[in-house]
Amino acid sequence: MDVVYAQPLKELLAVSAYFKEDLIVLVSTSAQEKVAKDAKLTPCFVVSTSTPSSDLQKLSKKKKAVVGSDLKENEFAVKIRADFLLQPSNTKQNFDLGLAKKLSDNNTVVVLMFEELMKTNSFERHQYWKNYIEVVRYCKMKGTKFVVASGAKDPLHLRPRKVREALAVLLGLSDGLSKKYLEEVIK
Amino acid sequence: MLLLIFMKIEKVKKTITPLSKRERKRYILLEVLNVDVNEKDFYFGFWIDLLSFFGSKGLAEINPRIVLFKGNKAIIKCKRGKELDLIAGTAFIEKIRNKKVIINPVLTSGTIKTLKEYAKID
Repeated sequence: MDVVYAQPLKELLAVSAYFKEDLIVLVSTSAQEKVAKDAKLTPCFVVSTSTPSSDLQKLSKKKKAVVGSDLKENEFAVKIRADFLLQPSNTKQNFDLGLAKKLSDNNTVVVLMFEELMKTNSFERHQYWKNYIEVVRYCKMKGTKFVVASGAKDPLHLRPRKVREALAVLLGLSDGLSKKYLEEVIK
Repeated sequence: MLLLIFMKIEKVKKTITPLSKRERKRYILLEVLNVDVNEKDFYFGFWIDLLSFFGSKGLAEINPRIVLFKGNKAIIKCKRGKELDLIAGTAFIEKIRNKKVIINPVLTSGTIKTLKEYAKID
């Protein structure tokens, strides 16, 4: 399983087929959803606190993801029982043990988008890394699912599964769990 | 002067570390996707990104060495137990010579022979 943003499909399909990877594509419109479905990819709607409640009701039976840039967005992911919480922390820590427990109860998957980490400079990168070590520790304590995804907007930024598993292990997840979570999520 | 002439020059024997006491290592077969790079370019791209992520101490602990590079496939040697660190580090290799690349770790083994057979490298 890998999570990527909506992008030109031809190259994306070629790269994902090479890696034998099932992709979850983050979409924001129904047109993008249709394109993803036609290409036999799993669409997932990106929602936020600014999304109208009428739209949220329409998406009730579909996969939803929240980009958790701050505390408000993280709590919103709990409130709407989102399937994925992307980037719960950045250079500031917005994740705690209570949130991990709630996400675990909702069966929400916490996702580190690798491309976000790549964009940062070396100083910010160490802050990201430090915060994510903490996130993984909380997730392990409460049994919350945690995966590292490519989060790519360009097909050439996709990362192979072995690499993403190794990154999760480096962050503190056990070898078995990192494999298990990546296999489980798509089901 | 006379003393110097009669002094014995003792040959120092090279001690060979027994196999059981040598440092254990692992070999990783990597595949460079998207562009054709030569050995030199790969070498620089590989080291710069790993060094920026792990730092001097971290990289010294992993102790990676490029053993072989042929036809976009590379065999890297590293310390046993540090292979996952090295694989994770390859995620940070984004560009080589300003061209986007994906480094795909294909196989990890304890011997070069297995990797050569798998990759069909002579």
